[in-house]
Amino acid sequence: MKKKLSDKITPFDRKFFDATEDFTFIGTGSLGGKATGLAEIKDILEKNFSDSDFPGISLNIPRLVVITTSMFDIFLRINDLYDIAYSDEPDDLIAHKFINASLPVELLGDLRALIEKIHTPLAVRSSSLLEDALYEPFAGIYGTKMIPNNQFDADTRFHKLVEAIKFVYASTFFKDAKDYIRATNNDIKEEKMAVIIQEVVGERFGDFYFPLISGVARSYNFYPAGRAKPENGIVNLALGLGKTVVDGEPVWNYSPEYPALKPPFGSINDMMKNTQREFWSVNMGKAPDYDPIHETEYLLKKDLTVVEEFGILDNIVSTYDSASDRLKLGTGYNGPRVIDFAPVLELNTIPLNNVIRKVLKVCEESAGNPVEVEFAVTHNQKDRTARFGFLQVRPMVVSNENVSVTEEDFSSPDLLISSDAVLGNGTADTLKDIVFVKPEVFDIKHSNVIAEEIEKINKILKEEKKKYLLFGFGRWGSSEAWLGIPVNWGQISEASVIVESMLEGINVELSQGSHFFHNITSFRVMYFSLQAGADRATDWNWINAQTTKNETQFIKHVETSAPLRIKVDGKRGKGVILK
Amino acid sequence: MNKFNAFEMAQQQFDKVAEILNLDVPTRELLRNPLREYNFAIPVRMDDGTVKVFRGFRVQHNDSRGPGKGGIRFHPQETLDTVRALSMWMTWKCAVVDIPLGGSKGGVICDPHNLSMREQEGICRGWVRQLSKDIGPLRDVPAPDVMTNGQHMLWMLDEFETVHGAKYPGLITGKPVGMGGSLGRTEATGYGVIFTLREALKKMNIKPENTKASVQGFGNVAQYAIDLYTQLGGKVICVSCWDQEDQVSYSFKKKDGIKLRELLEITDRFGGIDKEKAKEIGYEILPGDAWIEQDVDILLPCALENQITGETAKKIKDTVKVIAEGANGPTTPEADRIIESKKIFLIPDFLANAGGVTCSYFEQVQCNMNYYWEKDEVLGKLDVKMTSAFLAVYELAAKKNLYMRDAAYVISINRVAQACRERGWV
Repeated sequence: MKKKLSDKITPFDRKFFDATEDFTFIGTGSLGGKATGLAEIKDILEKNFSDSDFPGISLNIPRLVVITTSMFDIFLRINDLYDIAYSDEPDDLIAHKFINASLPVELLGDLRALIEKIHTPLAVRSSSLLEDALYEPFAGIYGTKMIPNNQFDADTRFHKLVEAIKFVYASTFFKDAKDYIRATNNDIKEEKMAVIIQEVVGERFGDFYFPLISGVARSYNFYPAGRAKPENGIVNLALGLGKTVVDGEPVWNYSPEYPALKPPFGSINDMMKNTQREFWSVNMGKAPDYDPIHETEYLLKKDLTVVEEFGILDNIVSTYDSASDRLKLGTGYNGPRVIDFAPVLELNTIPLNNVIRKVLKVCEESAGNPVEVEFAVTHNQKDRTARFGFLQVRPMVVSNENVSVTEEDFSSPDLLISSDAVLGNGTADTLKDIVFVKPEVFDIKHSNVIAEEIEKINKILKEEKKKYLLFGFGRWGSSEAWLGIPVNWGQISEASVIVESMLEGINVELSQGSHFFHNITSFRVMYFSLQAGADRATDWNWINAQTTKNETQFIKHVETSAPLRIKVDGKRGKGVILK
Repeated sequence: MNKFNAFEMAQQQFDKVAEILNLDVPTRELLRNPLREYNFAIPVRMDDGTVKVFRGFRVQHNDSRGPGKGGIRFHPQETLDTVRALSMWMTWKCAVVDIPLGGSKGGVICDPHNLSMREQEGICRGWVRQLSKDIGPLRDVPAPDVMTNGQHMLWMLDEFETVHGAKYPGLITGKPVGMGGSLGRTEATGYGVIFTLREALKKMNIKPENTKASVQGFGNVAQYAIDLYTQLGGKVICVSCWDQEDQVSYSFKKKDGIKLRELLEITDRFGGIDKEKAKEIGYEILPGDAWIEQDVDILLPCALENQITGETAKKIKDTVKVIAEGANGPTTPEADRIIESKKIFLIPDFLANAGGVTCSYFEQVQCNMNYYWEKDEVLGKLDVKMTSAFLAVYELAAKKNLYMRDAAYVISINRVAQACRERGWV
């Protein structure tokens, strides 16, 4: 295998929480990308963080065991799953067939032994071979399943764990994954999956199990605001499981250099509307409907009011005081809560930001590249200590090409679109296809239909091997259909330039789903963001005058007579699209 | 076992351990003999209209830990003493893996090769009618053994249910999947052998991928043992099997590792490999006993009893570090002494091949619930059970400096003796 099982990690010895080792493996193949990343960073973190560095907070990689890719190979072979795996059958059918298959016998005893001793929630995560081989993050492409693992009966816990592993195996062959693999010019037949079984960082409150804070920190910020520079990085924080962050739901964003600086919301009312209102947790309560082929089988999404009674909000909220029309730190007052993490970020009640800054620095130095780190934090109410669970590190792709976008470009008569908030870096001068959401019929309530229509056109262009410019309204890739068009990466895989025109009243700084966002940067897609209403400056007459290739209810595909010229200066975040 | 009396051997083994355990006289008396024996006639009307009377047996050696468990053998040379010995070994086998069952064994003196299916059905149904009050899910649970299979079990189950007027799927194990059988049963014995081997290698700090093995036999146990051992990274370089046509056995050798799949493609239903075809695909054909004298790390006797004798044990190479006994009683006491002196690690038969009975126990549990598990669940539980049993024996052997076979006996006999004492029998 490419990255040999490091000497740092040892074979699983049928103990988990009692074991001396907190990072073990089963099998003989590769660890896959995610686990390899963790194995490599493990020692570096241990060397750089001692408990005395940051009093009140400890850092570690949550205990885990990796099932290497050799087990995946055996699983497919002994159950003869190749035909269904490589077929175009729907995801549900593939998942169903996988769940009805048997895991390799040499894995079962270890799993059985593991589960007999553990009664706390487990995360079953994918760690794919190709993401390792390509050193490319396949963020959010494959399934992750959280299981509560609190059933009294070991048989039931075992059964659920086994189902979760098979689900992650099946997700290797889901449609999104296949589209992604094709989009990256890889062959699905070369993909193999390792699986990480890891303790879920969190605490149980009533029927819910979740971390107080979860987040994603990037050492490079493509959207720096105010004084912040791109290399200052950016952090997204949320209450509850990290699904809120990675799916692109509203979260709190800040620059680790200026933790107290709030995002530029128009008003407190805006802030209350556009910060986190719901959170994800593992369902520890009544068993849900049997639904083994879905990732969210054991997850609950609940309104924040549920958390109030657990008395854990004082570190992460401000309270709106209507008398003064101001936000006050903490929970000492009655009133609506706003999840802005102000006590942590402004008063440093948990020295989280200090840890994040050092983590980013250490990881970036180790990778020699900007990085993205996922983490989860718990806070012990009694002794006031916190735990920083380091979940994942991924490299970020940042281009270094020098591109200058001049004032002349901005005032050029050929200017089609310009923006001061552009992601990516570089130039393009071969694109002739534009796929856009027709502004005259656009309504956010149709965003799901729009996503489907785009997928169809994307498919046609893919067959024709053509890249295109995609123009639409609202945030692309949001899982919230009211924030934008909820496409996944596979549905727009051929778009090499994307333009989003923001909706009125939606904060530009809102997080993109970090997985979607990560793919944009990895594939070096140039991503133009336009303020709400700025699309009116766009020369729609010119666009509509181009040759129509395809038209649906909400989407139009045109081909220009000459290639568009696109320039993006990544350092300044400025870009133009010229006719 | 035609040259020696199996029951006498079983009693000698027991006496040796009884001494180690310092058992009292009544306990020794109770355990060195069966609790109950049934010896009966089975009249069957043959296809030609005549009636033939067959001799049937059932021996219930000890049921202090739970209902009896043990197979039914159809064999022309069957003797009551063989059945007695096998029933005693079943008691120890169930106890060593700590399943709540006792030891039994049954048999009929007959040669199924010369009997039609209808005649065999007659024997099966007759056997059950004679014993219908003395066997049952809570009493004594038969299973297939030499020359009996799932079909025989279904006939027996059907007869029992007819007599008792209700459904008792837990009466008998080894039934076909879908008719009350358990998934994983076919693989269980062979896999179980390798679970214990895997643990032994771990203890000796040897990686399976750095080992080579030679296997005697190519039946169900050997095939699944080879399958799992190969999956763990090991290499089997020699396998022997019986040639039905020549009435002798041969060894098939390939230095860079045999391939299970290619051999299975040229294997008949009795587990005999076609030697001409084997030669064509690059196998060296050697005499039957050549399997034991290979330069390997591991020997897996998975065929018959009485194979590693004082004579053959001398041929074992110094490279051999482990012997895992997939067959029942493959090693004679004389050979045991040689193996022990060579410091070869031995995994004794009733521990190594207990995967079969453990899975039969799982089958019975599933039948009694009338709810059937998935294969993952069966094999996962099997692995944990076998591994725990191995570790218990290993730790005792290390602590008391005992030969592995003796350590396994000490654990089993102690468990059964304790059950008898707690019941107030002795």
